[in-house]
Amino acid sequence: MIGERPFAATVAMLLLLLLVGVFLLAPLAVVAAASLSAGGFLVFPPQGLSLRWYADVWGDPRYVQAAWTSLGLALITVAIAVPLGTAAALSLRRPGALPLRGLWEFLFLSPLVLPAVVLAIGLLILASNLAGGPSKAALVAGHVVIALPYVVRTVTAVLAGVDPATDDAARVMGASAWQRLSMVTLPQAKAGIAAGAVLAFIVSFDDAVLVLFLRAPTLETIPLRIYAGLEFSPDPGVAAVSTCLILLAAVAVGVTDRLLGGKQVVG
Amino acid sequence: MAAVSMTGIVKKFGAVTAVDGVDLEVADGRFVALLGPSGCGKTTLLRMLSGLEAPSQGRVRIGGKDVTALPPERRNVGFMFQSYALFPHMTVAANLRFPLRMRRGLSRSQEDARIARALDLVRLPDVGQRKPQQLSGGQQQRVALARALIDEPDVLLLDEPLSNLDARLRDEMQLELVELRRQVPITTIMVTHDQHEGLALADDIVVMRAGRIEQQGTPESVYASPATPFVADFLGAANLVPVSVEGGLARWPDGLTTPVDGAPGQHTLMLRQEDIAIVQPGAPAEVELTARIVAAAFRGSSLQLSVEAGGARLRFGAPVQGGYGVGAQVRIGWVRAAARLL
Repeated sequence: MIGERPFAATVAMLLLLLLVGVFLLAPLAVVAAASLSAGGFLVFPPQGLSLRWYADVWGDPRYVQAAWTSLGLALITVAIAVPLGTAAALSLRRPGALPLRGLWEFLFLSPLVLPAVVLAIGLLILASNLAGGPSKAALVAGHVVIALPYVVRTVTAVLAGVDPATDDAARVMGASAWQRLSMVTLPQAKAGIAAGAVLAFIVSFDDAVLVLFLRAPTLETIPLRIYAGLEFSPDPGVAAVSTCLILLAAVAVGVTDRLLGGKQVVG
Repeated sequence: MAAVSMTGIVKKFGAVTAVDGVDLEVADGRFVALLGPSGCGKTTLLRMLSGLEAPSQGRVRIGGKDVTALPPERRNVGFMFQSYALFPHMTVAANLRFPLRMRRGLSRSQEDARIARALDLVRLPDVGQRKPQQLSGGQQQRVALARALIDEPDVLLLDEPLSNLDARLRDEMQLELVELRRQVPITTIMVTHDQHEGLALADDIVVMRAGRIEQQGTPESVYASPATPFVADFLGAANLVPVSVEGGLARWPDGLTTPVDGAPGQHTLMLRQEDIAIVQPGAPAEVELTARIVAAAFRGSSLQLSVEAGGARLRFGAPVQGGYGVGAQVRIGWVRAAARLL
C-alpha cells in the first residue's frame, strides 16, 4: 500500500524515539530520584525513600532567602519585559509602522540564539563603566534582554490571528488610538501576553549564567544557591530544590500550552 | 443622513495609483454600488469615504461638509467590513454598545434600548449575550450590519457585504438588505465584485476599472446600454464581436454582414445572451445567421450553447427539448435593435 511504512522501519523509529526520550529525561529522573533519598549523600540510586530533604531545604534560610531573591528578580523582569515585548510585537505587526522591520524582528529575537555568556560579558563591561560594577539593575537589564524574545514570540503568534479590520472598525466607530489598543487589540492578544509573562518568569527564574557574571556579591538566586550547595555540601537537598524547579517549568509549559492552544512559539 | 460627494479623487500608494481621478456624487438616501474587478480601486474609494485612507488629491464631502481632513473617528459613518470585524472578545451586545459608548453620552438603559432595537431590526432579538463566534456566518453578518447602523450614521458603507456567505444565504440576505433599506433609508455605498449583487440591490451602479469610473447610471440603463466593451462584459454574459460598419451593415470577421444601427467605422458589436434565440421554422427573426454548435452544456432548465457564426463564437441559452447536439447546424436570430455597437 502506498504510504505505509515497512514494519522494520516502524520499529526502528520507535526505538529511536525511545532513545531520545531517555536521553532527554534521564537527567531529570536521576535528580528527582536522588531528591527522595533518605541518606545524606547526593547519589543515584537513592538510599531509601523519604521527603526529609524537602523539609530540610524548606527550613534552610539560605534557600528561602535565595527563593525570595529569584522570585523578586523574575517578577521585576516580567513587569518590564512584558510591556516592552508586547509593544515590540504590536509595532512589528503593522506593515510600514517600522522601517527596516526585518532587522528589528531579528534584533528582538536574537537573544534566543546568541550565547548568554557574550551578553553577560557585554553587560558586565557596561555596568562597570556606567555604574561602577555589577549591580541588581544590570542583572535585571540582562534578564529583560533574554526574556524579551519569548514575549515577542508569544504576542506575535497571537496577534497573527487577530483580524486587522477590528482596529479599523473601532476607529470608524469613534475610538481613539488608546481606546483601540486597550479595548480592542490588547484584549484579543491577552493569551499571548499571559503566556509571554509565564515564559519570561521562568527564563529569569532559571538563569544561572547572567546572574553569575552580573550579581552583586551579596545577591544569591536559586540556581546559584544550588551551585554553591553542590560545591560545598552536596547533599540530596540540592536535588530537592532542582526537582522543584523542574516542576515549576513543567507547570509553566503546561500553562502556556493551554493559553496558546498549540501555536508554535518557541523554536 | 446626507449626500456624499467626492471630487477629483486621486490615491497613490507609492508608485501605484489605486484611484486615478474619480468624481462621484451620491444623493441623500440613494444606494450606490461600486462595481469592478479586484484591484480597480473600489475598496480604496470606500476607505477614503470612511477616512481610513486619505486621498492624495481631491475633496470628500459628506452632507455638504468637507471631511477630507477629518480622521474616521470624527466622521459619522457606519462601515461594515468584508470580514465583519466583530470583536471576538465581546458579546454581541457589547459589540453593539461599543459605537454608542465612543460617541454618545447615553445612559446604560438608553443604550440597552437601542441595542434591543438594532437586534430586532436585523431579526436577531435573542443573541445579545452570545459571542460572535457562537453565531453562524449569516448571523454574524447581520450583527455587523446592526453595529454599523446603531449609531445612526450619515452614510452606510458596505465592503463586499455578502461575499462570505454561501450562495443560498446570499440570495436571502440580498432580500433582507432591500427590506432593511426600506425601513432605514440611509445613504448607502456598497463595494462588490459581484455584478448580480450590484444590479439587484442598488439604485445606481458605478462600474470602475483601473482606478477610474468607466460608467455610472441606474442598473437598467447601464445594463441596457453599456458605454464600453469592458462594461458590457463585466455586467454580464455579453457576446462581443469585432465588426466594421458601413451603410447600415456590420461586417463580421468572416465577411458575412448583418443589419445594424450605427455610424460607420470599426466597432464592437454586443449581443446579450438573452437576446439570441434559435429561429423556429415559420417564425423568422429580424436578423438571422447560420451557426454551428460547438458545445452544449446542460443547465437544468436550459441548454447553454456555444456556437460558431460569422467567424465569431457566440454563447446563449436554448430550450432543453430542442435536442441540439454538437456539430448540428442551426439558424439563430435576434431583433435588429438588440445588436448594439460599442
